[in-house]
Amino acid sequence: MKGEVNFKVKKIPIEFSINGQKREALVKPNDLLINILREDLHLTGTKYGCGIGECGACTVFLDNEPVLSCLTLAAAVDGKEITTIEGLAKGNKLHPMQVAFLKNAAVQCGFCTPGMILTAIALLKENPSPTEEEIKDYMRGNICRCTGYVQIVKAIKACAEGGENESI
Amino acid sequence: MNQFKYISSKTKEEVLKILEQEKSEACIVAGCSNVLPYIKDRKLPAKLLLNISDIEELNYVKKSEDEIYIGAGTTISDLINSKIIKEECNVLYQAAEQFADPTIRNSATIGGNLADASPAADVAPPLLVLDAVLKVESIDGKREIPLKDFFVGPRKTVLHDDEMITNIKIKNYPINKNGCFIKLGLRQAMAISVATIAMVLEVEKNRVKDVRIAMGSVAPIPLRLFKTEEFLKSKEISDDLIKEAIQKVREEVKPIGDVRASAEYRRYVSGILFKRAFKKLTD
Repeated sequence: MKGEVNFKVKKIPIEFSINGQKREALVKPNDLLINILREDLHLTGTKYGCGIGECGACTVFLDNEPVLSCLTLAAAVDGKEITTIEGLAKGNKLHPMQVAFLKNAAVQCGFCTPGMILTAIALLKENPSPTEEEIKDYMRGNICRCTGYVQIVKAIKACAEGGENESI
Repeated sequence: MNQFKYISSKTKEEVLKILEQEKSEACIVAGCSNVLPYIKDRKLPAKLLLNISDIEELNYVKKSEDEIYIGAGTTISDLINSKIIKEECNVLYQAAEQFADPTIRNSATIGGNLADASPAADVAPPLLVLDAVLKVESIDGKREIPLKDFFVGPRKTVLHDDEMITNIKIKNYPINKNGCFIKLGLRQAMAISVATIAMVLEVEKNRVKDVRIAMGSVAPIPLRLFKTEEFLKSKEISDDLIKEAIQKVREEVKPIGDVRASAEYRRYVSGILFKRAFKKLTD
């Protein structure tokens, strides 16, 4: 940020795994995980939405649990495993949830989609056959500003019913 | 974003030593779900963030013969997943289930929600009715603070600069099992509450044997409604009693108006929330 250059700031060495690959990095104390992902690792699938934990666009898995990367300090992921939307496909084979979103046209502008898919995968891990109400309740923190919720709920249901959801 | 220093501690002892040296310069963080928005808004004066999220000894839910202990670093998700919380302190389980959304619940901790001391803190009213006691530690020793004496104003607590909450203790009274939490927000999900109520109730022969009531977002602090409780005790349950108690509730709350609701509305709706919770526990 302009006017905030501080040359004395001490960088922190961290080690983490990103989509299965071990990485080491030197981060500033105030670096957010999302900035490291997008700007340093060029994993731009994770989106920056509200920046205050209201929208869910920046959802990633931290040690297999969905968290918000805009509210996670990069320094705090030392020793942990991160999975982003880019880490779901195996080669050219998409994750079943990605397939379900495509098949059910659950994507409009696409900005919320990575977060939606990750949270939806977490839901099916906890509850493999959720009702529509349970889907809506779990997905409550992921906002779609195109308001394409009907197809998103349909896609998650289809994925659950297809029995294709495998843990990543 | 402002610059700050960052230390991630692996032990409680290390945190206490750093707090002793840095005092108010340091801010303990775990999930960061409150602190990072403060930093972005430049509302946080602390120069050192002290991360405690990797300290295993602060993350547990345990039960002894007559008490339940919750580590301060326990996440809201871990509360939901705890059989002990669901069975013995269901009112807290209900609040955890309505807390923000699953992603935030994976980060936010019970100790953080209390230390932040928002009048709208969702875990405060249930813990107030469970008569929770906080164990607070500094390098010089330990002390216990009943939660009802912990909050002194919005974002203000009796916690000293060199102290941290290490656990929350709940006496395992039978009344704790019959609890209800209701949250009123401007929307169904991800809402900061307009008002919340937590209640535990024990009824004997259609009379109120014991009751504890607490509300959030209707006073400068999460509020235990002792006067209404006293009024209700040993009275026979009837529609007239509920009507009178609604008035007591409205007298006891001290709401302000803000972007979410006016003071008048909060006072009015406090009575309605009381009625809903009381009916739910007596029907």
